[in-house]
Amino acid sequence: MTKNKSQNTISRYERMKKTSTVHLAMEYAKSLKEVVDDFPYNPESMYFFYDRMNAFLDAENTDLANKKVIATSCIFVPEEIIYALGAIPLRICNGAYSYDQIGAEFMPAKACPLVKSTIGQLHVNNFPMGAKPQLIVNPTSCDYKKKMPEVETASEIEFYTLELPATKETEASKSYWIQSIDAFIKKLEKTTGNKLTRKKLKEAINLVSQAQQQYRRLHTIRKQGPVIWGKDVILLSNSYFFEDIRKWTEQLEKLNDELEVRVENKQYVVKENAPKILLTGSPSIFPNLKTPVLIEQMGGLIVADEFCSSNRLLYDTVAVDEWFLYDMIPALADRYLKPCTCPNLTPNTDRDRKLINTAKEFSADGVIYQAFAGCQLYEMESLRIAKKLEQEGIPMLYIETDYNPDDLGQLSTRIEAFLESLKAKKSKTQIA
Amino acid sequence: MNIYCGIDIGSSSIKIALLNEEVKLIAHSISPTGSSFRKNATIALDNLLSKHQISQTQIKYVVSTGYGRKLFPTADENISEITANATGSKHSFKNQSVLRSIINIGGQDSKVIVLDANGYVKNFVMNDKCAAGTGRFLEMAARNLEVDIDDLGELHFANKKPPLAVNSTCAVFAESEIISLLAAGHGKEEIASGIHYSIARRIARLASRAGIDDAVLFDGGTALNKGMHAALEDELMRDIFIPEHPQITTAIGAALLAKQAVENK
Amino acid sequence: MNKIKHKINLANISRFRTIIQILSFILIMYGGYAAITISERIPTFACPYATGSAGTCYLIAMQHGLHITWADFASYRGFGFYTGLLIFLAWFIVFNKSWCGFVCPLGSIQDWITKLRKLLGIAFTKYDSKLFKKLRFIKFIVLGLLILIPLGMSNSLFGLPHFSHDLGAPFCQICPGRTVLPLFTGSTSELFIDFANNTTIFMSTLGIIIFVTFIIGSFFKKRFFCFFCPMSALQFLFSRIGLLRMTKVGSVCTKCGNCSRVCDIGIEQIAEDITSKFIVKDDCMMCFKCVEACPENDCLKVSFAGISILNSTDEGFFKRYSDSKTFKIDTDSKELIDQKKKND
Repeated sequence: MTKNKSQNTISRYERMKKTSTVHLAMEYAKSLKEVVDDFPYNPESMYFFYDRMNAFLDAENTDLANKKVIATSCIFVPEEIIYALGAIPLRICNGAYSYDQIGAEFMPAKACPLVKSTIGQLHVNNFPMGAKPQLIVNPTSCDYKKKMPEVETASEIEFYTLELPATKETEASKSYWIQSIDAFIKKLEKTTGNKLTRKKLKEAINLVSQAQQQYRRLHTIRKQGPVIWGKDVILLSNSYFFEDIRKWTEQLEKLNDELEVRVENKQYVVKENAPKILLTGSPSIFPNLKTPVLIEQMGGLIVADEFCSSNRLLYDTVAVDEWFLYDMIPALADRYLKPCTCPNLTPNTDRDRKLINTAKEFSADGVIYQAFAGCQLYEMESLRIAKKLEQEGIPMLYIETDYNPDDLGQLSTRIEAFLESLKAKKSKTQIA
Repeated sequence: MNIYCGIDIGSSSIKIALLNEEVKLIAHSISPTGSSFRKNATIALDNLLSKHQISQTQIKYVVSTGYGRKLFPTADENISEITANATGSKHSFKNQSVLRSIINIGGQDSKVIVLDANGYVKNFVMNDKCAAGTGRFLEMAARNLEVDIDDLGELHFANKKPPLAVNSTCAVFAESEIISLLAAGHGKEEIASGIHYSIARRIARLASRAGIDDAVLFDGGTALNKGMHAALEDELMRDIFIPEHPQITTAIGAALLAKQAVENK
Repeated sequence: MNKIKHKINLANISRFRTIIQILSFILIMYGGYAAITISERIPTFACPYATGSAGTCYLIAMQHGLHITWADFASYRGFGFYTGLLIFLAWFIVFNKSWCGFVCPLGSIQDWITKLRKLLGIAFTKYDSKLFKKLRFIKFIVLGLLILIPLGMSNSLFGLPHFSHDLGAPFCQICPGRTVLPLFTGSTSELFIDFANNTTIFMSTLGIIIFVTFIIGSFFKKRFFCFFCPMSALQFLFSRIGLLRMTKVGSVCTKCGNCSRVCDIGIEQIAEDITSKFIVKDDCMMCFKCVEACPENDCLKVSFAGISILNSTDEGFFKRYSDSKTFKIDTDSKELIDQKKKND
């Protein structure tokens, strides 16, 4: 009997899990080093968030192991409903290049790296804090995301498709969205075994509202002076994906208190002439903070962003007129659809106004627009946004990138040149 | 007297420009980058200084730019080649009209820089992912046509037939294409001319993305190639100005920025 | 000064409004018993059919004022109409359409009916966009008729014969104020059908129908009647010159729609319109619920004679619409709950 040469002691899948864990740890370590150690003036309170980033890797941490967890793949999923039904929402939009490389086996080469990365994570079944999601709620937002349930990975978690309208202005789209949420509630009630009650939903709305208040407070502080790096705000926003919401809100409150002291004492992280940048486009998610870190390493300061992984997360509010389910549910539906500036909705003129308004409110000198390779929606909007910004006299730099660290050289040349041109305009220097 | 030094460390060559207080070019050099560009840059600067009997102490400020700018230790400051190129081009543009666009075809990249009405860099588009449309492509072509790279311009104007289309989007595949065209009996003039137009079309695409506007200046070593100049004017359908020392415009810009840095202090 | 403004921006305007509504109701409905007379040209409903009334709504004066011949308009009799209008305007300009939101007794009654509905936990209804756009013209038609019919009683309109004098003050015959307000002085005297002749039968029957519609309508739809109210239409014609103003800075608006969703009347234009500065539409009753619900700083603004008195703020929004009670999430898995039950 001949020996089977291809007999492996461990299956390829097990090897993949092991290797990806190693890659992930390396990626996290590298990213944290860049984000934390290479920058001065990090606020004390940020260390909670830096440390918590390792929740993914910490096998000892089982905070979510015995909890009902509902995974979400998009900002459109109403988290208040998940809380009200006694479960915890876990956003699985991923930023790891290690997972991107795994996901690449299941998806076309030019596909969105965020979706590839999420697929990769699902395939190796690695969730933070021992979480075991019962369901993945997947809105039909962008094309690649919409098709995620069709990808055959080793994941056995059920996908639930949350139907999202492609427009938000028409009556039809508004009633479609309400119906979709009603169906979502029914599905979730079945999954969790709980009923949606008025009391629980009110409490859930208030719970998220506390987080929203602190987040708004952070942005009011940011307007008063450059007291915190943009990369820190993006990082702590990313940690909202998996952090316990009460803990997150408490820590953010501590951070806000610390930053208010900085404002009073004029302790800034950059000099007055540092170019102020508004960052927008495909979302940067830890550990892929390549673009924000690069911008701030090159001397810029990100004063605000328009990412669904960051500043857009907790911005929009829920206004309930009568605290009964018949009004709370439509109020929630409105929060997620009406003010949304995601390019998967058409028309998206609200985004133009939001960018211009944000640039003015935060005194941004310029906008950096990043699009991931394969992100058709953000790529398409870039031309319109560039024109609109030009009409308002706001310069814009468009960069195309993905999770691959190989393009750092090219990116840095572009970003550096852009920041230099902004600096020159600020100091009004001219030669010849 | 004070001398300001700009050193452009590119992927193929190191360009140095020395300006005096009256921003007149008093010396310049172009030397190959080689593999150890830090060493070669230092040597190039030393050679230039000794050739013109200028002492180290006369150099008031050094600004490095280009691909290797961050790794030149003697520099007082480093600035991106886009800013330096724009600065140098504005200075070298000797014409009545207003300079609005700069086309630079370097050794390993090509870029189009657009300036606004006040002369600030408004937009720029770079091709640094692919060799097609860069100096490398011309080097490869010259090698395969068995001519000197400086002769390409002559071949272009000697061509009486329509320029041959070189279809490959990749410089590596284009090489095979050129060889087979030669084997099929096509002349060097047709091929040289075809390559110039192929590069010019790529630049035209880059230029339209950047929002190109008159007046246009073309610099980088490739600008000495009159055939390339002619093809660009045809594809862009505009007049294109070539400065006096197209290879060192970026280095001159760096030197000007050196002077400005001293004045701002 | 800024501290006071800041406090106002965080205040519970709705509660303040409820208090003013109660006080105004008492004054208007019962002030007459204390021999108080505010005016015969008040810009809200104040019905003389309710015996304790401290004044009369301008619509009566207007209808009587228009019940004159064309020639009279140039004489001293026409004078009555002009002065009446001017006095109305003088009262109106100070508070603009907030007479509707803060003072009008019919409005207050509708708000109290709404509170009853809320207590019972019954859902409200809303008009959808299309229906809203179609129905909003009704108030102008009612106003038009209110003006034309008295004129048509003294003059020949479009060659028609003079209208019957039994029409009296035609709007008052159908006005819900006439049937509802006296109930609050213990009188059902206006709930009858006048069998005198066909005109009176028709008008009084219509009045009863509108009474019933008013009660049922305002139970299910917040401020049901205000959508059809001719007083609202009349006020809107002059709303631009009011001293109390509400404006919007459209560039700051995120189109979240909070304003129109809390609006009792359901005016979508507050959210949709991001270009107009003067945002008070014909249906608006300037109750400022929208300003309270707007989470953007300085988007919706209220000013009096050019001085800003209330601005929308994010802080104000959260103070009014959010609760800081702590929340316990029961997110333990079924196994853990069962285990806990076993251990107890």
